[in-house]
Amino acid sequence: MAKQEMTLAREAIDAALALGADYADCRVSRVWDEELVVKNGRLGSAESYEESGLGLRVRMNGCFGFAAAPLGAELGGTALADLAQRATHTASVLSAAKVTPAAWADEPAHTAEWSSPRTIDPFSVPLEDRLSLLMAADASMAGAPETVAREASCSLRREEKWQASSEGSHIYQDLMRCGAGMSSTAAAHGQVQCRSYPASMGGNFASAGWEHILAMDLARHGGRLRDESVALCSADAAPEGERTLVIGGSQLMLQIHESVGHPNELDRVFGHEVDLAGSSFSQADHMGRFRYGSKIVNLVADSTIPGGLGTRGFDDECVAAGSWHVVRDGIFEGFHTDRTWASKIGAERSHGTSRAQGWFHPPIIRMTNLSLMPGEWDFDALIADCEDGSIFVDTVKMWSIDQRRLNFQFTCEIGWEIQDGRLARMLRNPTYQGTTPEFWGACDAICSSAHWNLWGVANCGKGNPIQLAEMSHGAAPARFRGVKLVATK
Amino acid sequence: MPMQNSRDIGRLAERLIDASEADETEVSLGSGAERFVRFADSGPTQSADRNWQSVSIRARFQGDDGWREARADCDGSCEARALGALERATILARMAPPNPEARALGGAVDVREQVADEATASFPFEEMAPWVQMATAACTDAGLAPAGLIQCRSAEGRLVNSAGREVACSSSRAGFCLTASSPDFKTSAGFADAIHSRVGDLDAEAVVRRAVSKALAGAQPQNIEPGEYTVVLEPNAVSALLLFASYAGFGAQEVAEESSFLCGREGQQIFPESLQIADDAHNEFHPGCPYDGEGWPRQPVQLVDAGRVGTPVTDSKWAAKLGLPNTGHGLAMPNTSGPIPMNLVLSAGEQSLAELIGGVEHGLLITQFHYTNLIDPKDLLLTGMTRNGTFRIEKGEIGPAVKNLRFTESFVKAFGSITGIGSEREVAGALFEGEVICPALRIENFRFTSSTDF
Repeated sequence: MAKQEMTLAREAIDAALALGADYADCRVSRVWDEELVVKNGRLGSAESYEESGLGLRVRMNGCFGFAAAPLGAELGGTALADLAQRATHTASVLSAAKVTPAAWADEPAHTAEWSSPRTIDPFSVPLEDRLSLLMAADASMAGAPETVAREASCSLRREEKWQASSEGSHIYQDLMRCGAGMSSTAAAHGQVQCRSYPASMGGNFASAGWEHILAMDLARHGGRLRDESVALCSADAAPEGERTLVIGGSQLMLQIHESVGHPNELDRVFGHEVDLAGSSFSQADHMGRFRYGSKIVNLVADSTIPGGLGTRGFDDECVAAGSWHVVRDGIFEGFHTDRTWASKIGAERSHGTSRAQGWFHPPIIRMTNLSLMPGEWDFDALIADCEDGSIFVDTVKMWSIDQRRLNFQFTCEIGWEIQDGRLARMLRNPTYQGTTPEFWGACDAICSSAHWNLWGVANCGKGNPIQLAEMSHGAAPARFRGVKLVATK
Repeated sequence: MPMQNSRDIGRLAERLIDASEADETEVSLGSGAERFVRFADSGPTQSADRNWQSVSIRARFQGDDGWREARADCDGSCEARALGALERATILARMAPPNPEARALGGAVDVREQVADEATASFPFEEMAPWVQMATAACTDAGLAPAGLIQCRSAEGRLVNSAGREVACSSSRAGFCLTASSPDFKTSAGFADAIHSRVGDLDAEAVVRRAVSKALAGAQPQNIEPGEYTVVLEPNAVSALLLFASYAGFGAQEVAEESSFLCGREGQQIFPESLQIADDAHNEFHPGCPYDGEGWPRQPVQLVDAGRVGTPVTDSKWAAKLGLPNTGHGLAMPNTSGPIPMNLVLSAGEQSLAELIGGVEHGLLITQFHYTNLIDPKDLLLTGMTRNGTFRIEKGEIGPAVKNLRFTESFVKAFGSITGIGSEREVAGALFEGEVICPALRIENFRFTSSTDF
């Protein structure tokens, strides 16, 4: 545990306490980012980023204040005291407008170090090797005159974080994540269609080392992406009306995110996100009695799962990571909470899901890794079990959901109609619509752990001003009955 | 909120360029400060008093096969870190494959001066707290729950390159938004906001009045069937549609890659003659940065003129590739996003909001759209939900509130069906990034594809 940063955090807290704060926590972060993008055989962008800063949160008279500044050479001496003064001044002034003092759940003080497991440090991989992997991926998508854009990218991020609190916690965390992806876009017959691997929106990300990217074997998938994007331009539009839908993991992960993760963040339930992201149909009294899905639906939140982007030792309120069922056997069981909200549902401890985008932001409740537990089905057997006219869809193209997380509409990159127990006619723009509990209630089959994968979401926005956070969602293909498909023309 | 001194910023840029081993070097420096208070029924819930500094360096080496270039950034908190960024950019650029399409950096240009409003930059929490109290009291008195944000920020930037370009600007922004909701966060809600470059122009009381009155008027929403309706979209709802034309339509790269709605329509009149859309960073309402990511002056561009769509915005790369003028809409280079118009302005019409509504026999008044997203770029087919105040219009009068609806509609078709343009304009943004300046619009046959029970 580096002493200099922890000492700074400790000094900031002491300064705040000296100014009258009754609680303070501090995060000092150092972040390294690197991103490479190859587009159409050329280097599209090469970026390297480094930052460090200090965020200090204090509580006075039941009201929080927060101040943050970059961690330059000058952030010693009076600058640190100035930051403490700004945070306490903010809390003090705003406490005059405070109606209800913030509650606070107990948590033991922790002294700990935690690091994301990694086999190959991605920052140690020579740039030439990273570039050549992307150039090969890009080249593997070449060869069709209809292709208008090919793109392959990789992104690395490491955050070292020193956390301390006035309750006595001293925590060092070394968080590593990396990811990569590729896409091929074709234009023909008045259509523009894109196929991505292993997922859209930049690919798949994990708390892992370079081995995560090597395992993707990007170049092996380029020809398929090229051919599918071209074929989609002349494929039939997906039909409208009620159909059985088998949803692939790289699509189902965002369904979990939007219709299970966000509605069960407790700050939304009590209306504190209404100013931008919205509220929730979930209610505090739903716990233990509300049917969220069919009996085979089990959704587990887990900040300890290997490879998850939300996996860490502690959250930003120094609460130890853990796991719990959000939905067990179809019944809703538990919310994402932080230390200010836990007592609202009678919990003695927070679930440890308070996170900030970085040192610059105050923490808010953020969903952690949230996964649909695997079932028993083999994928081929599941397809064979579907009636003619059922549709298999995969890969996120577009998503939209209302402010209470009930009415959603998703468009997938690709679909196939199922005929005689096999994937048959290719379909473009398959778009389905539904309401959350009815949709999860229509789930009657989930594929086994052999088909289950963890999908990383690296750009989840919440808060106001908006903050980004990362989390993962495990999913295997699953079947949903009577889903409404809508026409997109 | 202390801001980094402009002269210090300039000297650091010069030192970095002097220290660079690259054939060409570009340095962008930024700094800023922000204070915000977020509040809800319990009063202030989050707040921050924070500042930042940034350094972004592009290093370039010229070879027989083209330019090798890369970028590195850092927080700019000390010169040693900035020199580290310069070293990383240099290493990355030396290793980068050559790009024969990349061009030499441009030299000196003139950009308009833009100055931040000092009152906005220094707006204290002591003046924000009474706004919070006013909003929470008004909501409590009306039996409603508040949720809102007060935010004041200022920023300063400077771009200097080794070819002699040096441009700078400063800006400020003050925003106040309030959503007043029924206590169940289901039955009704009203939204209002105000965004200005100068906090002195912001009428906080008017924001509170509008949000509360909308929520009260929506107390007993009726069921409604999806289908096609004549709609009057308030500016915030208009922004949710218009921003997608910015993200995915008006840029040269989208046109070249055949995904833009402009493809095959350039020069055609596809919208009513009354429709004028420009990108104008120099607009009087809420000016944007007067130069782009390459330091080139942002030109006002008439994207839709009397309903006729024009050519897209460009940067140096796409201007050269397509044989068009550089309009100064580039992001920091190199990038794969292409140029983007970031300061869309929809010209005002002649009708008040009441007159727009007065021209509707049966229709809907929409306050805001939520989570709008793009299904198909070719026609800018979008979907999203209504939110925070949706009302029937019957015989030219606002009627009862209705439950929320999902729309699935093409921007091209919707803007082609405009029959009225409001005379009052606002700065308006949506859930995703970006803001536009626009009035309310009346649109015929707007398609809703499903409804909700709230």
